[in-house]
Amino acid sequence: MNTDTNSAHERIRLTGTPLGRSVRIVDFGDGIEPLQHEQLHAYGLSAASGVRVLQQQPMTVVLCEHVELALEHAVARHIWVEPA
Amino acid sequence: MNHAAAAQPPFAPPAEGIAARTLALVGHPNVGKSVLFHRLTGAYVNVSNYPGTTVEVARAVPRFDRAAALLDTPGVLALPSRSDDERATVRALLHEDMRLIIQVGDAKNLRRTLNLTALLAELGVPMVMALNMSDEAQARGVAVDTRALGEALGVPVVATVATGGDGIAPLTAALDQAAVPAPLLRYDASLEREIERIAALIATHAPHPQLAARGLAILLIGRDPEVDAWLATRPGAEPVRAAVAAATAATGRESVPARLARERSGAAEALARTVTAQGGARDRTLAMLLGRVAVHPLWGWPMLLGVLYAVYLFVGDFGASVLVGLLEEDFFGTVLNPAITDLVQRTIGIPWLADLIVGEYGLWTMGMTYALALILPIVTTFFLAFGVLEDSGYFSRLSVIANRLFAAIGLNGRAVLPMVLGLGCVTMATLTTRILHTPRERLITTYLMALAIPCSAQLGVVLGLLGGISFGATLIWVASIVLVLLFTGWLASKVIGGRRVPLVTELPPMRMPVLGNVLKKTGGRLKWYLIEVIPLFLVGTLMMFALDRSGALPWIIEAGEPLVTGWLGLPPAASAAFVMGFLRRDFGASGLFALQNELSMVQAVVGMVTITLFVPCIASLMMIVKEQGLRTAALMLAMIIPTAFLVGGVLNHGLRLFF
Repeated sequence: MNTDTNSAHERIRLTGTPLGRSVRIVDFGDGIEPLQHEQLHAYGLSAASGVRVLQQQPMTVVLCEHVELALEHAVARHIWVEPA
Repeated sequence: MNHAAAAQPPFAPPAEGIAARTLALVGHPNVGKSVLFHRLTGAYVNVSNYPGTTVEVARAVPRFDRAAALLDTPGVLALPSRSDDERATVRALLHEDMRLIIQVGDAKNLRRTLNLTALLAELGVPMVMALNMSDEAQARGVAVDTRALGEALGVPVVATVATGGDGIAPLTAALDQAAVPAPLLRYDASLEREIERIAALIATHAPHPQLAARGLAILLIGRDPEVDAWLATRPGAEPVRAAVAAATAATGRESVPARLARERSGAAEALARTVTAQGGARDRTLAMLLGRVAVHPLWGWPMLLGVLYAVYLFVGDFGASVLVGLLEEDFFGTVLNPAITDLVQRTIGIPWLADLIVGEYGLWTMGMTYALALILPIVTTFFLAFGVLEDSGYFSRLSVIANRLFAAIGLNGRAVLPMVLGLGCVTMATLTTRILHTPRERLITTYLMALAIPCSAQLGVVLGLLGGISFGATLIWVASIVLVLLFTGWLASKVIGGRRVPLVTELPPMRMPVLGNVLKKTGGRLKWYLIEVIPLFLVGTLMMFALDRSGALPWIIEAGEPLVTGWLGLPPAASAAFVMGFLRRDFGASGLFALQNELSMVQAVVGMVTITLFVPCIASLMMIVKEQGLRTAALMLAMIIPTAFLVGGVLNHGLRLFF
């Protein structure tokens, strides 16, 4: 796992991903609590998973394998992604 | 709400050794387990288009094996269990004579389905997979090679569309070929060492009659509270518990449960890729468009207001005005009640007995008339509107829109589901708070529902009375209740310790509600209503009759005068409505409704706000005791009654400055 100070250019936070963009999850930051981490895995959001960003307000909404998931920014900002 | 269930009684773990041979439907929330349960047993449990409809295990005899029992378990997002509904599923797996698991999966999200399979496969129970919602997968261009998947897992995999009945016969036939699945993965070496060590200890010291030691070991080091509680009851548990404690104490940046979850997720992803093909799909449908609009930061709000206004028109205008007018005034008032009164007075020679049936506080003229002529048309229209909305998938989207508002009161948008369900019935909604993840969220939500969420019957009476006065009066009532809800919630979030959990939720597809399901649900709910409400209305009427006859009612009215007349500014007779409200708030609201010709606009608003915030009904109170304990329920009650009168009085004096 990376820390939230990750500054690699190709990696951006999920909250900073433009609408309509397909991205691949790279890593989860330490700001996500362990229980919520398990929950994300259960929803299918794991490293290497591909998602498409549908919306950023009022929550981040992503399409993950044909299922829409809404994530509060407090969680989404700790998810690092790169272009798919 | 589950009171439409015909597959009762709800699950209670039977004593070991006496359980029937059991099969269970297990799967994620909102994948169609309850529909499939209905198809396989004929028993109906409530079915809706949002996660968390089923919070208790339902049981019925399947059509294909009259000697067995089929369980419909609450949806599990993941195992090890974390929430109350997930724990209910693990309890069923642990305590039933579990011979077969039918995993119900979502065909359009195979990765997530297999994530759960990766754990279920370790339990050593024969399994069959029903890959449900295949039609939705097909519409999205997803093709799953069920044969290849079945070969990889070593179990039959059947594509189903439970709502349409497709694949049910092949699924039933496949049960004979059920097999223990092949494990999807080997965990990393250090985890495997711990799993094998603990599994060996379980097999030696605390074996389970049905479940494999390896699966239990994985759940234990994943910190599943139910497996831990089961282990604590085993005589040879100590060495196992010591080994689990050592295994989970391992430090690292990633917890042991998260490592397990990550590895299962990787295995599920790999298998899903090999058996799934993605073809072309329609990118925009009306349902998709509506789904996006419902959670849009700007357009979501007008849509919400539009939905609320439509419900208001259907329930408040059509139900509470047109239907109640036809039934209460035209039929009961001018035809039925005069005829029954005449018949009773002619046939019963004892005046007080005739009075008990058809007098001012008569069992028929008050109790049954309120229940059948006043409340029934209102709850019928409400349950119809509610059924359409819950099957459309709109309620889950409300949690996104409401999330920011709920953050202000220490909750997240998930709490909107029990609250919206509370508008149907607070009693069953209190049970639904189990879908919330922390005790703190459950406590705050339960308290707010007990205080400020009116049930359908009460809501209908409120809309009927205030809607008849003006839309403005209704708006003042709505604003007052919302303000009380927000302020009390904010205060509760400051007083009750603990952190708020950020929202992560699935948004199920928007679907056209199926009329048959809406009618079935409405019928089930009305049946519950008639069974629960009529006896209470009759008891309440009897109580009012006794108070009136004994001379206590005038005394109560007189004693309540400083509060009811002085502080709330209501007519003295309104005291009787509050006495009735102790039994059920909607009964009290009906009492105020009956006074409508004596009430000014301010009095009607003040009366309805106060009775809305008044004590929860007896059934709700019992449910709060069950879920939160007697002490917490008593404390809630002690805060609710003064709050109701305080808010009512402040509103009375405030409104009189303007009206």
